[in-house]
Amino acid sequence: MLPIFEVQNVCFDYEQIPALRGLSLTIGRGQSVALLGANGSGKSTLLRLLDALCFPSRGSISFCSEPLTTEQLRSDEFALPFRRRVALVCQNPDVQLFNPTVFDEVAFGPLQMGWLSAEVVARVEETMHLMGIAHLRDRAPYRLSGGEKKRVALASVIVLDPDVLLLDEPTAMLDPRSQSQLIDLIQSWKSSSKTVITATHQLEIVEDIADRVFVLEQGSVVAAGSPQEILSDGDLLLHANLVHAHRHTHGTMTHSHPHLHSHARHEH
Amino acid sequence: MHIPDGYLSPSTCAALYAGAALGWYGGLQRIKRTLATRMIPLISVFAAFSFVLMMFNLPLPGGTTGHALGVTIASIVLGPAGSILAISIAIAIQALFFGDGGITTLGANCFNMAIVGSLVAYATYRIVAAGAEITSRRRLLAAGLAGYVATNAAAFLAAVEFGIQPMLFRDASGVPQYAPYALGVAIPAMMIGHLAIAGVAEGIIAAGLVAYLQAADPALLQSTSGLAPGATAACQPSMRHPQRRWWIAIALLAWGEWSASSFSSAEGRARIAAASQNRPAPPVAPTGLQRLSSLWTSPVPAYAPPVLKSTSFGYFLSGMFGVGLVIMLSLALQAYLQHRRGAGQPG
Amino acid sequence: MSRNRAIAATLVSLTRALGRALISERVARQRGLLQALDPRVRVIGLFALVLAVILSDRISVIVALFCAAVVVALLSKVSLASLAARVWLPVLFFTGVIALPALVLTPGEPILAPTGGSFPVTAQGMSAALLLIARVETAVTLTTLLILCTPWMQVLQALRAFHVPQDVVVMLAMTHRYIFLLAETAGQMFESRQSRTVGVFDGATRRRMTARTAGVLLSKSVELSNEVFLSMQSRGFRGDVRVLSAFRMRSRDYIGLVAFLVAGGVAVWIGRS
Repeated sequence: MLPIFEVQNVCFDYEQIPALRGLSLTIGRGQSVALLGANGSGKSTLLRLLDALCFPSRGSISFCSEPLTTEQLRSDEFALPFRRRVALVCQNPDVQLFNPTVFDEVAFGPLQMGWLSAEVVARVEETMHLMGIAHLRDRAPYRLSGGEKKRVALASVIVLDPDVLLLDEPTAMLDPRSQSQLIDLIQSWKSSSKTVITATHQLEIVEDIADRVFVLEQGSVVAAGSPQEILSDGDLLLHANLVHAHRHTHGTMTHSHPHLHSHARHEH
Repeated sequence: MHIPDGYLSPSTCAALYAGAALGWYGGLQRIKRTLATRMIPLISVFAAFSFVLMMFNLPLPGGTTGHALGVTIASIVLGPAGSILAISIAIAIQALFFGDGGITTLGANCFNMAIVGSLVAYATYRIVAAGAEITSRRRLLAAGLAGYVATNAAAFLAAVEFGIQPMLFRDASGVPQYAPYALGVAIPAMMIGHLAIAGVAEGIIAAGLVAYLQAADPALLQSTSGLAPGATAACQPSMRHPQRRWWIAIALLAWGEWSASSFSSAEGRARIAAASQNRPAPPVAPTGLQRLSSLWTSPVPAYAPPVLKSTSFGYFLSGMFGVGLVIMLSLALQAYLQHRRGAGQPG
Repeated sequence: MSRNRAIAATLVSLTRALGRALISERVARQRGLLQALDPRVRVIGLFALVLAVILSDRISVIVALFCAAVVVALLSKVSLASLAARVWLPVLFFTGVIALPALVLTPGEPILAPTGGSFPVTAQGMSAALLLIARVETAVTLTTLLILCTPWMQVLQALRAFHVPQDVVVMLAMTHRYIFLLAETAGQMFESRQSRTVGVFDGATRRRMTARTAGVLLSKSVELSNEVFLSMQSRGFRGDVRVLSAFRMRSRDYIGLVAFLVAGGVAVWIGRS
C-alpha cells in the first residue's frame, strides 16, 4: 500500500490549549478512512493539518513523501497542484460559500488554478449538473437551504477533480435522503480509487464509507482497525464518548447498555 | 450622516472624490505591504459587521435611541488604513446595493466618515490611551472619547460642505443651487444631532466593544495598543495571536442616517439661530417656531457676523479647512508611524 | 416596554435589509429596457444622467430628466407604485423637512407672509427648496433604477471593467455576502434575548446588553473571517482573486450608451445656458 499521508507525532495547540498530542497515523493511497471521535477529539484539526491550512508545532506531516511545511506551501509550484489534488469540505457550509452566486462559487477553484475561461465554464456546468444544482446557478448563498448549501460546497471542490477528499462531518444537518445521497457519492469515490478521509461521530455510516477506522480521543489515536473490529468494541466506543448508555425501553422491558441512536432501533 | 445626491455641487463632489481617492490609495498601499491575503476576508467580514452594527438601536441616556457607526472599533482593531478601506466598502455597498447615500457624493461620504473619521478616531484613541495596559479602564475612556470626537468631526466636515454651498453656488437672482443653508445654520443643525445623539451612541458602542474584547479576546486590541506585542503561536488559523504584521481591517460603517426625527428637530432648533442672520429678531416668535425654540439648548450664538455671507470668506474658510485637515491628517499619520516603529516591525 | 421596542426596531431594520435584496432580484430578472443593456452601459448611462441632474441649473431640465427616468422605469417593468413607496415619498418627506426652513431663511424678495410679516417666504427660498427636492428626487430615482435592475454580481463586474482594483471588488463581494449571514445571526441573538428576558431594565443595563450582543457578533465575525480565509486557501487562493470576464458589447448596448450620453449632454447644455 502506497502511503499518501504520513502523520508522525504531531502536536498542535489553539492558544495554549492542546488540540493534538503526539498523533501518528498513515493513510494509504486509495483508502477510505473514517476518523471517529467525539467533538473536541481533534478530528477537524487533523483534517486542517492534512490540507496544509495549519502546520504542527511539533512532529511532521508528509503528502506523497513531500513534507507539508509553511515554506513548501509558499511556492506556487507545489501549492497549486496540492490544492487541486487535496480538497476539504468544511462542516459549516456558510464558511465555504463566500462567493455572490452558486456559479461563482463552483468556478472559484478552477479560476484560481488558472484554467482557461472556456474550460472553467464547461467544467462548472458539468459539475453543477452532476450535483443537481444547475437550477441554482444564479442564486445567492443566503437563499439556499442547508442541503443545497452542502451540495454547492461539494460541487465547489469536486469540480477540480481532486485525488483526496477530506470531509468534516459531512452528514451533519442533512435530512435522511440527502444523507443517503451523500453516502452514495462517497461510495462512488471509493470505487474510482480516490482517497476519502471522513471525520464523523456518526457510527451508523462508518461501515458504508470506510475500510479503515481510526478512533481519536483527546488529540491522539487510541485505536485503529477495520470498521467491524472497532464497532464491535463497546468499551472502546463508550470510553471515546461515541456511544452512550442510559435506561431505555424495549416493549415492556427497561434496561441500560451502551447503544447508539439511529433510524433503526437495535435488536437484542 | 450620509449625504444624498443633489446637496453638493459637482465641483464639491469632484474635489471630495479626489480627496477620498488619496485616502483609498494610501489605504490600499498599506494593505498590500502587509499580509494582504488574510486582510481580504478580515476586512470584508468586519465591514459586514459594521453594516449590521449600524442597525442596532442603542438606548441612550435621556430616553432617546441612536445608532452607532462602528468606525471607532474598526480603527482600534484594524488600524486606520484598514478602517479607511472597510468603512469605504460599507458606504459603497450602502449606496450601490441598498440605495442609501448618493453616488456623486460617495467620495464626500467616504472622505468624511471613512477617512477623516478613521484618522480622528485612531489619533484620539492612541493619544488618550497612550501607554495604558490593554485591559485598563483608560482604554475604555479613550475608545468612548475617540468615538465621540470622530463622529462629530465627520459631522462637522459634512456641515461645512453643506454650509459653503449657498456661498459659492448661487444663481444670478440669489437662489442657492444646492444645499440652501449657510454655515451659520448648517453647522448647528448638523452638530446638535451628532453632539447629543450620534456621537454618544458611537462612543458608547466603542467603549462597550473594547470592554468586551478586553475580557473575551484582548489580543485583538494588541496591534493598535502601542505596547510591545505578545507572543505569537506557531500556527494561527485564528486571529487571536496577532502577528507582527498589521491587520488592516474592514471598515465599520453606518453612520446615523438622515433620520427625520433627529434631524428635523435639530433643524427646527437651528431655525431660530439662523433667523437672525437675515433679519432682526421679531419681538414675538410665531407659535410654530416657539414650540421648536423650546428644544433649543445649544450654546451656538444667535447671530452670525455678516462676513459669513461673503463669497471670499467662503473660499477662505475652505482653504483654512483644507490646511487644518492636512495638519490633522499628518498628526495622525505621525502617531501611526510612531506606533509601528515602536512595535519594531516593518510592514 | 421601551426595551422591547428597541429590540423590535433593530429586528425590523435587519429584516428590512434582507427584504430589499429580494425585491431587487425579482426586478432584475424581468425582461425590460434597462435589463437588456450591458451592465457597464447601465452604470455609465445612469451615472451620466445623475451628473446631468447636478450640473443643470434649471428646474425645468431636472423635471424633464425625472420624466425620462419614469419612462425608463416603465419600460424596464419597474412598478411606479414601488418607486413611489421606496423613493418618492421618503425623499419627499426627508428632503421636504430639510428644505422647509429654506423657504423663510433664504434672503430675497418676499412673496408670501404666512406668519404675519415677520417670516415671509421668499421667491428665492421657494426656488431653492423646489430645486433641491427636484434634484434629490431625480437623482435617487435614477440610482434606484440602476440598483433594482442590476444584480449585485453585475454591479461588481461593471466596477471591475472600470478598473476598480481587484482586491476591492473581491472585498465588496464578500462583504455583501456576509452582511446577510451576520444580519441573520444578529437577528437570532436579538430574538432569543427578547424571549428570554423578563422585566424592565434600566438604560444602563440595556446599553450593556446591546453592547454585549455587538461584542459577541464581533467575535463571531472575526472567527468567520479566519475560517473563510482558510477555505479560500484550500481552494487555491494565493492572494489575487481571478474572475471570469463576462461582458461583450452588442449593437444595442452602443445605441443605449449613446442615447444616455446624448440625453445627459443635451440636459447639461440647456441646463447651464
